[in-house]
Amino acid sequence: MPAPLARAWKPALIAGIVVVYVSAVGLIEQFAEVYAIGTQVSLARVLLLLPLFLAGWVATRTTVERGERKVLAMPQAALSGAVTGLVGGAMVSIVLLAVDAIDPDTIGEVLIAVSTKLLGIVSFDQSLGTGIVLWLVLGAVVGALGGVVRALSPGARRVVLAGPLTIGVLAILQRVVSTAIKELGFRPDFLYDSKTSGLTWAGGIAAAVIVTLAVVGRDVLRSRPEAAAAPAARPAAASTGLGGFTTRQLVQGAVAIIAVLALPWVIGTALSGTVGTVMIFILLGLGLNIVVGFAGLLDLGYVAFFAFGAYATALLTGAQVNTTDGAGDPAFSLGLNFYVAIPIVVLLAAGVGLLVGSPVLRLRGDYLAIVTLGLGEVVSTLVTSKWAEGLVGGPQGMRDITGGDIGPTDFQNNPRHFYYLALVFVLLALYTSWRLQYSRVGRAWNAMREDEQVADAMGISTTRYKLLAFATGGAIGSLGGALLAIQLGSLTPRSFDVNVSILALAVVILGGLGSLRGVMVGSLALVGLPGFLREFEEFRPLALGAVIIAIMLLRPQGILPNVRVTEDIADEDRDQDAWARAAAGQPATETSAVEPA
Amino acid sequence: MMAGKGADAEERKPVLELRQVNTHYGLVAVLRDVDMAIYPGEMVCLLGGNASGKSTTLKTILGYVTPSSGEVVFDGEVISGKSTTEIVRRGVSMVPENRRLFGDMTVEENLLLGAYTRTDKAAVEQDRQMVLDTFPVVGERLKQKAGTLSGGQQQMVAMGRALMANPKVLLMDEPSMGLAPILVDQVFEIIKTIRSLGRTVFVVEQNANMALSIADRGYVIQTGRVVLADTAANLLANPMMREAYLGEL
Repeated sequence: MPAPLARAWKPALIAGIVVVYVSAVGLIEQFAEVYAIGTQVSLARVLLLLPLFLAGWVATRTTVERGERKVLAMPQAALSGAVTGLVGGAMVSIVLLAVDAIDPDTIGEVLIAVSTKLLGIVSFDQSLGTGIVLWLVLGAVVGALGGVVRALSPGARRVVLAGPLTIGVLAILQRVVSTAIKELGFRPDFLYDSKTSGLTWAGGIAAAVIVTLAVVGRDVLRSRPEAAAAPAARPAAASTGLGGFTTRQLVQGAVAIIAVLALPWVIGTALSGTVGTVMIFILLGLGLNIVVGFAGLLDLGYVAFFAFGAYATALLTGAQVNTTDGAGDPAFSLGLNFYVAIPIVVLLAAGVGLLVGSPVLRLRGDYLAIVTLGLGEVVSTLVTSKWAEGLVGGPQGMRDITGGDIGPTDFQNNPRHFYYLALVFVLLALYTSWRLQYSRVGRAWNAMREDEQVADAMGISTTRYKLLAFATGGAIGSLGGALLAIQLGSLTPRSFDVNVSILALAVVILGGLGSLRGVMVGSLALVGLPGFLREFEEFRPLALGAVIIAIMLLRPQGILPNVRVTEDIADEDRDQDAWARAAAGQPATETSAVEPA
Repeated sequence: MMAGKGADAEERKPVLELRQVNTHYGLVAVLRDVDMAIYPGEMVCLLGGNASGKSTTLKTILGYVTPSSGEVVFDGEVISGKSTTEIVRRGVSMVPENRRLFGDMTVEENLLLGAYTRTDKAAVEQDRQMVLDTFPVVGERLKQKAGTLSGGQQQMVAMGRALMANPKVLLMDEPSMGLAPILVDQVFEIIKTIRSLGRTVFVVEQNANMALSIADRGYVIQTGRVVLADTAANLLANPMMREAYLGEL
């Protein structure tokens, strides 16, 4: 087999399968009318060709053969990328021909997304013959681009990718960005076409150029001799700052704080609501992260704490239960102020953590997961049951939950106000997690997670620390529940099924077990993105599955792993970063939103 | 000198004693009427074949399992039935089989975890210095992940970690297990070093030759019973030992 083909067939095969898969599940048709830029580039077309670009990229990777590093030079890289793209394009073409031969609408009886219309979309709205030619040509071009970009030096790659990535991000976050522009008092027409709601060519290219220039400018500044000498001068700079921070850090911190505080006013009401939900899941993620990430106890029933927090808040603040003929008083109810109730809820949730924790103390790994899954189901079933109707409304749920308002605020009806309440809760949970992580307790959890028996031999009381993990994790999770109660004003048991446990776990694992930044990124990606990109909503479970598989294969430690874990393999990780970013197609968005710049 | 020390020890009170200890796993008796005594400053080894009850003896001392009858006495007090945490706190520490460092943590963190139960910061720092003086290699690798060290270095960290507890008795579970012959020599050098610090050491080993060459006394255990107890020199000369454990006919 000739060398380029040997490198090409595997990535090309995978890319081809991805293209066929996203088409067959209906993602392509869904995005056919969503325009990235102009009317020529729809998200569907980006999605069709992106796998080939990535295949070209992957095929050009540096390999090690018989102990030698094989770095591809530019012409070879282009060739190998082109071959990959061509093979991938050919694969898609074969499938197109086959589908056409069998008749798309017959196939559509089984795979409902497949239709003559889809065939047209995948053929780039041309006849099948032209479509196939286009697939081969575009495949080769896009694949070659992937190879070329990979072969560039990291600096050059950054410059080349900056523009396209900017366009990608602006296109995907169209709703967010155009609302922000409107909220700031401008008309978004210069950037987004009001008819297609995609970017305009002029606006998109202008934005891409600006960002590219910014990247170039930054790189030039950094490479100047004075800048190179700066690290040496840093100690001196540090002494001039306040409280041990450099001026630069202070400025960055101030910008970050202002950005966080101003966010709801920039992104508009509807998206503030989405961000509010993201924050609820950040709380769940932070709580679960203590149990799973820090202490290493796989808990699949975490929804129990979410439900407990929500219902306990409702009961303590005097909410009503729904009955068949209106509302009624629950069997137990206190009319406490929300802020008096919250500490009680948290303490009780910690108590529930101890209760849940004690029967499972001797279990590990898979066994623990199964038992906690069962415990979570017990809670879900209890709140849904007739038996609990008098207390929590059973299947009908509860209503008239306090808004928790202070003065002029309106948390329930104004997502912008709710954002600040959620922010306070999240900061509280973040601070707690952060302090715990680097404390004696954190070290004990770490040891316990790695080797329970030896941790015991170090004199670490694993029983106590397991219970502590369940209690703290539960307490933080209940904060999420309390927020949900406030946000919705009413509760139904449907909000507390096993899917919440799974989503919370996915948030933690995707972001990186044990990583606080990871929890925020994971929550933004899994809960926020579907809210920002509404067409995506329907495909969330599908994309979730695919993304989790990809992340776990390519980056088993999560998107932003716990720092401790990566110290020794920084290089390998940087390489993975580039991959993951390219794979996500819209890199910095999630990351930069939460990174302290 | 060794023999003399052993003889002196007879007159003192043992620091660790097993009295008629029986341990069961369910219905299976693993230890039967085991009597052992370890005196301060001594190095005692426990020899035996596979499944003879060696590891269970350590587990019983450390409180992982509770004896069904008999008692373990440490420092004049009965410790059997107490939690592992409590037993470690009182001054027993162990170098586990296969070293079992916390691989994702740094060498430094591993050492600090060894002193987890101690609150006397100054003394901990002193012991840390002592460990680093004893094993200079460990000092060079403090910031490295423990999992990335070589087998011999890991063994030093494992020993250092156990020493950080400033134990009155140091237990070692098969320190030569799974190591290449050249590393086995190294490990026994390490144990000799620890011995020269005046520590009380109780080492469980399969490598009888090596163990007896550095120990004061030894016990031989077979199917849960102590079948021989003597000074190391006598055991080395014992014909039955030579046949069964020392690989000579």
